[in-house]
Amino acid sequence: MAIKKYDEMNELGIDMMREIGSIGGGNAATALSSILNAEVNMELPRVEVLGFNAALHSLGDPESVVAAIFVELSGEIEGIMLFIADKEFSHAVLARMIGRPGGDFLELDEIDSSALTEIGNIVIASYVTALSTLTNVKVELSVPQFGVNMLGGIMSLPMAMMGQYSDRIMMIKGKFKIGGQALNSHMLLLPNVESLNVLMKKLGVE
Amino acid sequence: MTKKITVGIADMKLARQEGELITYALGSCIGIAFYDPMIKLGALLHIMLPEKGQANDSNILKFADTGIRETLRKVYAFGGMKGRLVIKIAGGAKMFEMKGAGNLGNIGQRNAQSVKMVLMKEGLRVKSEDTGANYARTMSLDVATGRVVIRSAGKPERVL
Repeated sequence: MAIKKYDEMNELGIDMMREIGSIGGGNAATALSSILNAEVNMELPRVEVLGFNAALHSLGDPESVVAAIFVELSGEIEGIMLFIADKEFSHAVLARMIGRPGGDFLELDEIDSSALTEIGNIVIASYVTALSTLTNVKVELSVPQFGVNMLGGIMSLPMAMMGQYSDRIMMIKGKFKIGGQALNSHMLLLPNVESLNVLMKKLGVE
Repeated sequence: MTKKITVGIADMKLARQEGELITYALGSCIGIAFYDPMIKLGALLHIMLPEKGQANDSNILKFADTGIRETLRKVYAFGGMKGRLVIKIAGGAKMFEMKGAGNLGNIGQRNAQSVKMVLMKEGLRVKSEDTGANYARTMSLDVATGRVVIRSAGKPERVL
């Protein structure tokens, strides 16, 4: 049965999304590990269906400044993938990649921002490749976009996309640990409702 | 210290005489401050999408059209007068480009246009605004004075 809202999804569907998050995130962690030449683990992914304000607060303080890599998904699955990293995470990654932490977070130079964009792009692409192989759906990725801004502002576009049809949004969340250090980052898969129906059909979850 | 009253996403709050209405990190969303200086009545609305359309959702504060109408209904009920209302808006940024997935296009700009259009239909106009560009804004309205302040990361505060 096709669903029209995120909160109509049943337990089986939620389990399916968690499994997708787990396989996608695992693949992304492996990719991140090989670029950074460090041990990268992924915490167990979470699937959350929450109201706008609760969803935003579950990610952090809306005013906190974060770096985000934004990729739009199209094809059989439509939606957004976001990789969000706080200042500590970004600096730790830059220190490993180019041997020095970034400068002023709001005024990152081109080397820093392209390094972070590349990290986000690789992480997102490996996640989506795993998702696409597992479910046998075709997904195209847009060119990654990079921004450093308040978390609330970053999340406004995915929330508007999902909020058109529902007062709740769905997030498939993953968190990375680098070298055993729990640094604050979020790997978010934000599918539109129609894509959930596509996935449930493909995987025989009704 | 003035009392802070937080306005969430798709939310609206009213206050009289004193208090600071504040909404955090507006991206493509729009914050709309309504103020009647004579009776020191203020309202702050945080909308997310331009119009209700076919959605059968319960939350009318999510949309510019239904949200503005509901706010005005309350403002007038509390004694606010149309001729005295001072309206200021902020937000409507373009955080990222987006093509497909629900024809969002430049949602920030569309939100701003819709807000102005709906206000115009209600016989009101925007006195000042801080909209567009590509950064998030926190907006506050001091109900005692009517002062509207915009705060952005790495930028000086701006009084609207």
